[in-house]
Amino acid sequence: MNRFPNHRILPYALVMPSIAVIAIFLIIPFGQAVYLSFHRVSPFGALRNVGWRNYVEMFASAEYLFSFRNTMIFSALVIGVGLTIALCIALLTTQKIRGAAFYQIAFIWTYAMSPIIAGVMWSLIFDPAIGIMARLIGSATGYSINYFTDPVAAFLLVTAASVWIMLGYNICFFVAGLQNVPHELKEAAWIDGATTWQTFWVVTFPMLSPTTAFLVFVNTVYAFFQSFGMIDVVTQGGPNRSTEFLIYKIYRDGFGRMQEGQAAAQSVFLFVLIAIVGAVQIYTSTKKSVYDR
Amino acid sequence: MFQKRSKSILMAALVLVLALGGIATAQAPVTVEFWHSMTGSRLEVLNKVVADFNALDPTMQIEPILVGTYEECLTRFRAAYQARQEPGIVQIYEVGTQTMHDSGMIIPAYQIPERLGETWDFGQYIRPIVQYYSKDGNLWSWPFASSTAMIYYNADHLRAAGLDPNKPPTTWEEMYEYGKKLVEAGVVKHALSYGWPDWMFENALSLHDLEYANMGNGRLGRPTEVSWPNEFTDELLDIWAKMAKDNVWIYGGAEYNANAAFQSGEITFLMQSTSSLDGILKTVGDSFEVRTTFLPRLANPKYARGNSLIGGNSLYVSNRVSDAELKVIFEFFKYLSRTDVSVYWHKNTGYFPATNAAVKALMDEGWFTQSPNHLTAFLQILSGKTDTDASAGMRMGPFAQSREWVRTALEKIANGEDPKAALKYSAEQVNALLAEYNEFFE
Repeated sequence: MNRFPNHRILPYALVMPSIAVIAIFLIIPFGQAVYLSFHRVSPFGALRNVGWRNYVEMFASAEYLFSFRNTMIFSALVIGVGLTIALCIALLTTQKIRGAAFYQIAFIWTYAMSPIIAGVMWSLIFDPAIGIMARLIGSATGYSINYFTDPVAAFLLVTAASVWIMLGYNICFFVAGLQNVPHELKEAAWIDGATTWQTFWVVTFPMLSPTTAFLVFVNTVYAFFQSFGMIDVVTQGGPNRSTEFLIYKIYRDGFGRMQEGQAAAQSVFLFVLIAIVGAVQIYTSTKKSVYDR
Repeated sequence: MFQKRSKSILMAALVLVLALGGIATAQAPVTVEFWHSMTGSRLEVLNKVVADFNALDPTMQIEPILVGTYEECLTRFRAAYQARQEPGIVQIYEVGTQTMHDSGMIIPAYQIPERLGETWDFGQYIRPIVQYYSKDGNLWSWPFASSTAMIYYNADHLRAAGLDPNKPPTTWEEMYEYGKKLVEAGVVKHALSYGWPDWMFENALSLHDLEYANMGNGRLGRPTEVSWPNEFTDELLDIWAKMAKDNVWIYGGAEYNANAAFQSGEITFLMQSTSSLDGILKTVGDSFEVRTTFLPRLANPKYARGNSLIGGNSLYVSNRVSDAELKVIFEFFKYLSRTDVSVYWHKNTGYFPATNAAVKALMDEGWFTQSPNHLTAFLQILSGKTDTDASAGMRMGPFAQSREWVRTALEKIANGEDPKAALKYSAEQVNALLAEYNEFFE
């Protein structure tokens, strides 16, 4: 059957560039990663087939499970805390107050800052010896906070910095989402005697769900992949690997520790994981989102 | 007639073009890439050295390329070699020594003059450097930026705490005592921090003539296990743990983070590579008096004297370079070993002047009396042992990972965990990595 009458080659020629790009930059490297994940690579490039050993050792490795656990907690915090704060601020800046536009811009502009710069800034502010915040906390509580040695402090620092860097973006989308909530629906709720709290949960929040679903996905991607730059600048995965999240561990194992095979196995597993998470999110969000007006 | 003439003109033109082409090919510059990891103030110094070399002969050009940290540089070289994109010269840190020796990607340094039909006296380099990078008595990489570790201290702080700046601590026990006094006197919140904490651990072992790993510290064969934890490390780490608990020692990150604390007067003692000397002197300026001294030892007299370790980096040459490229590389290496260049490099970076002649020139011009801080590390390493495997420095394949595990243990100790358990756990991980590395040679 000819799907494109009179055009036998042209349609395929037109999609070729896209397919070529996808093949060269995504499919072929992925195939190589799968191939590599069944091998050990010597420091001079020789390959040795080891079967499933990389996968077996990965799931038996205390370091990997620790990294997995920390990544999950980190993502949950970035999404949960980050989106909650963003929504609160977005609600405040969409109230009828003087200078609302100014506040909106003031909160959003932080997104323009590169994660690297933000990372350097946060690490200097909390530097145990010369950082101003470390010093203020030290003189206020007597507790000297050192994210070079304290795994919990490092983890919280990276989480706080990540929430902060994503805040502008999240607020931006929530503000846009809130402005699209039809005022007459809220009025109807008020007339029916709903409190502000009830109006928010029954009208505003469901109407926002497409925005929320989108932001959850974007923040998941940030937590899993884009947090890399921040980690690399602030903690390099330390101390005691508390901030060595899955993506950073792949980089460290593959490039620093010269364990390409093991890193490939991790990246294949991360791919499967993200595919499942993405599918679940898209399924639930398209099902639950209220698109209809 | 006309046709004939135009033909001859054409011929003449052709001859001319061919001749010019010939000249052009004869004089086409040979350019060799040089991958390195010199950042900060050292980058400018390196670029100046290379630019001066390039100005000497337009047909011999070196192109320096900064490719990231030492670790990244090693990884990228390996990847590039497999893709046939590697540079002619690559700068590799001391940690990569065993890996480079095992790689099969390089020409050992001692074979470079041989291949070009020339000779070169490797005896002109400072002994501990040659020792460190030699295998079976032959130098495998070209000495370039060698350093060792020492103590930097703030003499003004010692005076403020009523301590004698002419008597800095020589033992860890004294370090603890001094630190406590400084903290108690309110001069500083913390007294001591290290750069490269994992390397300081290695230095502590070698300074007491103790091996880091078996198989002659990895110099006689590929090691199968590390020597720690042992009696010595127990004793050492007990003091480190005590210092952490009493706010004497503050853990300052993996590489150069601790420098900032020292330069801003937040801490009194900094253990760091000599390569930071010029950066620190320049940044501190006149705000306080910077002095330097030898690394501390344990007071316990039962431990022998060894030496501090050579650190920094050396230069490796890819074994795929052509003879024309190798010629340029050799000329460049000879240039780096020139006395004036060695002197310039030393004065502006704090790295060792690599040749005996450069040391003499520096001494003759009074440099060491003018800037005694530049002499400290030198005296320390030249006055120490060089003839034992422990003092010559260790060698192992997964060295970078081993460092990371030592650092992990030190981070745990600094955070109040049990030193023995922390180090034991790290040792187990390193031993597993050693076994994995050795599998490649079965």
